[in-house]
Amino acid sequence: MNRWRGFGTRKRDLDEEIASHLRMAIADRVARGATEEEARAAAECEMGNLPLAKDVTRETWGWVWLERLGQDVRYTLRQMRRNPGFAATVIGTLALGIGAAAAMFTVVDHVLLRALPYKDAGHLVQLQEGGRDAKTFFYTPWVDLAQWREQNRSFEDMAFSTGMSGRTYLAGNSAALLVGGTEVSENLFAMLGVKPALGRGMIAEPPGFGAVKNAGTIVLSDAVWRSAFGGDKGIVGRVVRLNDKPYMVAGVMPAGFRYPIDRGANGQVWTAIELGAKDQGRDYDSEHYEVMARLRRGVKLETASAEMATIQKRVAAQYQDAELREDHSVVQVERYQDSLIDTNVKRALLALLSAAGVLWLIASVNVTNLLLARSTARQREIAMRGALGASRGRVMQQMIVEGLVLSGCAAVLGTGLALGAIRLTGAVAPIHLNVDFSTHVDFTILAALCGLTLLSAVLSAAWPALIAVRAPIEPALKQGGQQAGSGRRHNRLRSGLVAVEVAMSLTLLVACGLLLRTIYTLRHVPLGYRTDHIIVANLSIPSYRYVNKNVTATLYQPLLERAQQLHGVQAAGLISEVPLGQTFNIMLSLRMNGNNIVAALKTASPDIQPIFGFKMLAGRYFNHDDTPTSAGVAVVNPAFARLYAPNKHDLNSLLGLTVWNLRKDTPAKIIGVLDNERQKAVDRPSQPEVEVCLCQITPGGSVYNPITMAMDLAVRTERPTAEMIPELRDLLRQASPELANSTFSTMDQIVEDSFGSQRLAAHLLEIFGGSALLLCVAGLYGLLAYVVTQRTREMGLRIALGAQRANLLWLVMRQAGAMLLLGVVVGVGLALASGRLVRGFLYGVKAHDGGTLAGAAVLLFLSGMLAAYLPARRAARVNPMEALRSE
Amino acid sequence: MKSEREVYRNRIELLQGTLDMLVLKTLQWGPQHGYGITQALRTRSGEVLQVETGSLYPALHRMERHKWIAAEWRVTEQNQRARFYRATAEGRRQLANDRSKWETMVAAIASILEA
Repeated sequence: MNRWRGFGTRKRDLDEEIASHLRMAIADRVARGATEEEARAAAECEMGNLPLAKDVTRETWGWVWLERLGQDVRYTLRQMRRNPGFAATVIGTLALGIGAAAAMFTVVDHVLLRALPYKDAGHLVQLQEGGRDAKTFFYTPWVDLAQWREQNRSFEDMAFSTGMSGRTYLAGNSAALLVGGTEVSENLFAMLGVKPALGRGMIAEPPGFGAVKNAGTIVLSDAVWRSAFGGDKGIVGRVVRLNDKPYMVAGVMPAGFRYPIDRGANGQVWTAIELGAKDQGRDYDSEHYEVMARLRRGVKLETASAEMATIQKRVAAQYQDAELREDHSVVQVERYQDSLIDTNVKRALLALLSAAGVLWLIASVNVTNLLLARSTARQREIAMRGALGASRGRVMQQMIVEGLVLSGCAAVLGTGLALGAIRLTGAVAPIHLNVDFSTHVDFTILAALCGLTLLSAVLSAAWPALIAVRAPIEPALKQGGQQAGSGRRHNRLRSGLVAVEVAMSLTLLVACGLLLRTIYTLRHVPLGYRTDHIIVANLSIPSYRYVNKNVTATLYQPLLERAQQLHGVQAAGLISEVPLGQTFNIMLSLRMNGNNIVAALKTASPDIQPIFGFKMLAGRYFNHDDTPTSAGVAVVNPAFARLYAPNKHDLNSLLGLTVWNLRKDTPAKIIGVLDNERQKAVDRPSQPEVEVCLCQITPGGSVYNPITMAMDLAVRTERPTAEMIPELRDLLRQASPELANSTFSTMDQIVEDSFGSQRLAAHLLEIFGGSALLLCVAGLYGLLAYVVTQRTREMGLRIALGAQRANLLWLVMRQAGAMLLLGVVVGVGLALASGRLVRGFLYGVKAHDGGTLAGAAVLLFLSGMLAAYLPARRAARVNPMEALRSE
Repeated sequence: MKSEREVYRNRIELLQGTLDMLVLKTLQWGPQHGYGITQALRTRSGEVLQVETGSLYPALHRMERHKWIAAEWRVTEQNQRARFYRATAEGRRQLANDRSKWETMVAAIASILEA
């Protein structure tokens, strides 16, 4: 039997079969002597309701559902054509909700649930040593991690790595390429479970002193291989130059492989760690490594943590220096995945995801309300279908198909919106947030989107359909017309839904208001320095060129002199990191005057003070009398003074104290206290900081190497930024070609960027809050407009009986006011309850800030009343004669 | 109005076991089309049994789906194109089965009524 034959063919077959039956019945009767007409009438009478017979027959094929689905879809499309405004409203509303949710989901998925390019990444952990206070963690010296490797039973394998210091340049076929370089232990790739795509990579060899098999070899990332060597398949075995040192290429990793995840946008390279003299001890000079390990199958993170705690007790006891012993007393074992996500960003994204979810809910409620109103208007149609024999299930199915078609269109539109929104988000997201917005909606997202769509279809179509279907048929048919009672219950339900919408919108508006106030407050925090007319270049320094030279004398000083001579430059200065730059961090840990001191270390040239307009709270800043040969000088900040000044009330008591020795026999003495509050973030006070004079940083000095690795050039100029930047870039290129890669910004922009997650959240919430307000107003308007149309006759009657038009206006407005008021009251409650979610991002304003709450409530209430006014006016203008006659 | 559909369904249900059996029995005498089956059942039952079109065709199509009968288009002696059904081996087994069940039931009902 031909079960899979086309439905159309089978349908024609059945028609023909029944027709032949009829013909034979007629032919028989004619043969018995009846006339043709009599025979036909009798045969038809005997055979009964043929379409129904066919229908029932077709049901036995199990195909009918498909046929009906087709009918329903066609019917829905007809409905949409007939009432395009309604369809557009529903589709637009849902698309907005779905789009917002999908966009946020894409970003969150990408950031939080990002799949790492390693095998079984869930088993990878990072191990860090830290103090008992569990605030700061440090990388690990070789002697410690060698003991971990020997003694642990929790890990399958343990590997370690360290980022190459300074900027790393790889000489490619045509030009030098800035790459992210990492020195790794030979087993790292094997532990990550990734094999090279070309070559054999690093050779297995027990790590330790004298391990040489991998010395001088380099592994390239796919991106580097392609951009620097044009994807040359014969690259393995060739010698390439990294920072001007020769390395032999041992392999190319597969595309998409990265380690560490967030280093080197242009591509990465890896060389083998060679242990040396600095790896033999546990002191301040020791090399420290990032340690990764793979948990054995079946070993829990807690078990591994507990084992490491036991091991570390023995390890820490071997530290000679008491302070270091404290700093390395515990081991933190953290999943690598978790360690990658900034808690701040995570919180911001989750909060925004819930905001998008709320917007989606509002959209769904709005659409439910619209469909509900329409299903009431269609009560007569539904009753008629029932009367004509449609079963309840059949009517339900049709309504659900309508919902599905509408939300299907909305999903397509919403996906488009989501893509647009992601691009928009990418544009406002600050760079240092380290969130990659260049994502496309992928399969997971589409699946989630389909889920959302189905859910919203069922939500918004099934419910009104259920109510419509339950309604008894007779009264709807008997009363006829639109005036047929929508019933108190339905009205209350719809008013309730509007109130829910209002409440949720208010929550979003309040969150938005709070963040806008936060941004406003942040912009008006007194920074303690000027930010106008300053161009900042974060220098991309080819450190390798200056290995055996005095970089201060050969690069920095000449650069500064040339920059100062540039046309339109009022002052030029160098500083390790401009305030709020977030590009560089060196912590100094030492003893001064009997105190243990922890402070950030920076170096700067004298002109930095006039450029930024830093005030001196005591003493003086560096000046041109400070030279490499004069007495060592240092400047500290108020945070330093508050913690370490011998006399807390007199900053001058710090002056003349020795911070530490710049070189042997050259003590750096404090000569001033610089007011540089807000150096890391606008919403947090500064940490203690020590600045030393750039010209006094010379080779052989204690901090020469780390501190000359990073430098910002700051220039004060009245000329337009766009004009200055190319000139500055040229100047940098002349000093060294790699410097042309430096990134430029203005100080104003850096301040703006530092608002980071708050700014991102505020921008998105502006969109979400605005959309919510719009939906809410549209929902209210739609409902009232509908109610007024339904009550036209009642209004006419009231006027005919002597009601004043103002009374009618008041009647509708009162109804709107009640809904709004209820919504606002619930919304205030919701906003207070959800304050916890946003509290972390607020600055200078409380989560339950009365002004913001009141402002949002008033805004919502007034917009709502405005939306209600239009239908109310229409109600008041009803012409009693027409209204009564129209029935 | 939906009741009409239910009436049909009820009738099918009432006749279901017997109608299938009667159709299979009719087809034992040779392939036959729907109209032929109706006529055969009517004549052989002495004009007592009148099978409704609305019952017959759903039953035929259901039995076809169960592979008890097979169908093909043929031309009748009066030169009419019609869909002819014939019983399959499985259909014949089904008939034997139905029949024995039917006889047991008739005997059982009879013994109750005659007691």
